[in-house]
Amino acid sequence: MSSMQVSEGTKGKELVPGIRATEIMAAAGARELRDGEVVIVGLGLPEVATVLAKRTHAPRLAALLEVGVMNSVPKDTPVGLADSRIFYRATCWSGFLDVMGMNLHRGVVDAGFLGALELDRFGNINTTLLKQESGKVRYINGSAGGNDVASLAKRVMVIMRHEKRKLPLAVAHLTSPGFVGGRSRQELGLRGGGPWRVITDMAVLGFDSVTHSAALVSLHPGIRLEELIENTGFPLHIPKEVPATPLPTAEELRLLREEIDPKRVYLR
Amino acid sequence: MSASGTVGKVKSAAEVVQGIPSGAHIALGGFAIARNVIAVVHELIRQQKRDLTISQGVVGLDTDLLVGAGLVKHLIMGGGSLDRFGPVPCVNRARETKSLVCEDYTSLSMCFRYLAGALGLSFIPIKSLIASEVLERLEAGAGAGDVQRMKCPFTGEEYVALRALTPDVSLVHVQVADREGNCQIDGPRWENEEQAKAGRRLIVVAEEIVSTEYIQRSPERTIIPGHRVEAVIHQPFGAVPTAVFRRYDYDAEHLRLYVEHAQEPKRYQEYLKKFVFDCRDHSEYLEKLGGAKRMEQLKADPVLGY
Repeated sequence: MSSMQVSEGTKGKELVPGIRATEIMAAAGARELRDGEVVIVGLGLPEVATVLAKRTHAPRLAALLEVGVMNSVPKDTPVGLADSRIFYRATCWSGFLDVMGMNLHRGVVDAGFLGALELDRFGNINTTLLKQESGKVRYINGSAGGNDVASLAKRVMVIMRHEKRKLPLAVAHLTSPGFVGGRSRQELGLRGGGPWRVITDMAVLGFDSVTHSAALVSLHPGIRLEELIENTGFPLHIPKEVPATPLPTAEELRLLREEIDPKRVYLR
Repeated sequence: MSASGTVGKVKSAAEVVQGIPSGAHIALGGFAIARNVIAVVHELIRQQKRDLTISQGVVGLDTDLLVGAGLVKHLIMGGGSLDRFGPVPCVNRARETKSLVCEDYTSLSMCFRYLAGALGLSFIPIKSLIASEVLERLEAGAGAGDVQRMKCPFTGEEYVALRALTPDVSLVHVQVADREGNCQIDGPRWENEEQAKAGRRLIVVAEEIVSTEYIQRSPERTIIPGHRVEAVIHQPFGAVPTAVFRRYDYDAEHLRLYVEHAQEPKRYQEYLKKFVFDCRDHSEYLEKLGGAKRMEQLKADPVLGY
């Protein structure tokens, strides 16, 4: 559903000639998933990244959707989590209680892949509302499965657009907890491991193991460090040597463009 | 309506809604733009059932219609969306203008609340919600009596206790049911089983009424057994413009038209007048959407299911 949907990268933006930001994001997302893992996926780029992982290095990845769909192989691009297109060629149809209860709450979900309206320095996510400068509140979608995944998955990954207003010091509404107040997950009383990676159209971010605040993992080719800092609303730990996010391979690009999202619904 | 009329549990939407009082707590079984009980929702609006409490895992067009019509005073939800057609416009506007009380949960906590209700438990513990503003807002607002931080009596681990949900009436849209209410649902079922069985009364809307012998061919697919069902509404295309897996696709054209009207309260009244108040029943509404010709276009491919 939409709260697990992702804001797509800037329309058609190419970071290096011939490769779009969304393609780099999808490949970076895929590389964070390991073969044999169990992942709960939101619609949009998380789904694209998961399918890419399955088609390359992680064929035994179990991909679960909160409505009760496992390992589906859609033929047409779905528009939502309850779109019949995403039920096609699944290995199991069940419901929330199975996927979110007896898998996620049970503790067997390795990774959760979410979208966010806002994400702050401790990886807290807002999918509920936006506060306008006038102070007026605009409601959007609420949690749906977002809070459950953020609370319970072993690793949480977020794919979102990199904008200063979307990456503020503190979120306008803490829908889904990361390392709240910089505290450890154990201290917070949460079972899941918390935020692991934030994949944007500029960089891959992680979280410092001591302070639990956001750290730069890699910068996408074509993005300058100053540009990244300028577009981030919170301070970032920056390593001395900043690695470049690996570009998608020729085979990854072929799969993305020809088989996974040929109509570029999500790889815009 | 089936040809044999109101025999046994098979009733019309109008008859069923006559038996739902204003002020009732109704649990809806739709998810975003899938399997919404539109036929019943329109009837609730025509009969002006007011001051409703509505609960739903992920609210969609069904709840948005009731809220837009001004019939909902209390909303208990896990999230909301019309998928790519955007957020739920009337629900969000009502929240912004504070014209209804809203308890905002999560998908799993809604499912657990229904599960507790369905099991006859008064509460259920959960490991979600902890350390979030979702919980803080519930504690400070309308959910204060429904959530409670607690520790496991055996291990001391921290939990949130959720009060069971037992709606007055649960409504679910299914692909097939027999005349006794034995229901089979194709595709994923989100929280339908828990939501249905938590209800004090359970009413289903079926696309097709089948024989009990048909049900008996694959009883393992019966998600809701007939003895729990009070009434069966037989309404083909009863969820349009939302999708019913293996029956028909969502009507993108109409959903866009809905969202366009829902942006403005005045235009929304025009929508309600045309598509709800000026229709005597669901068949008249389907005619306005293009009738048999349009329904044929929406019909699902038997292999793909949409």
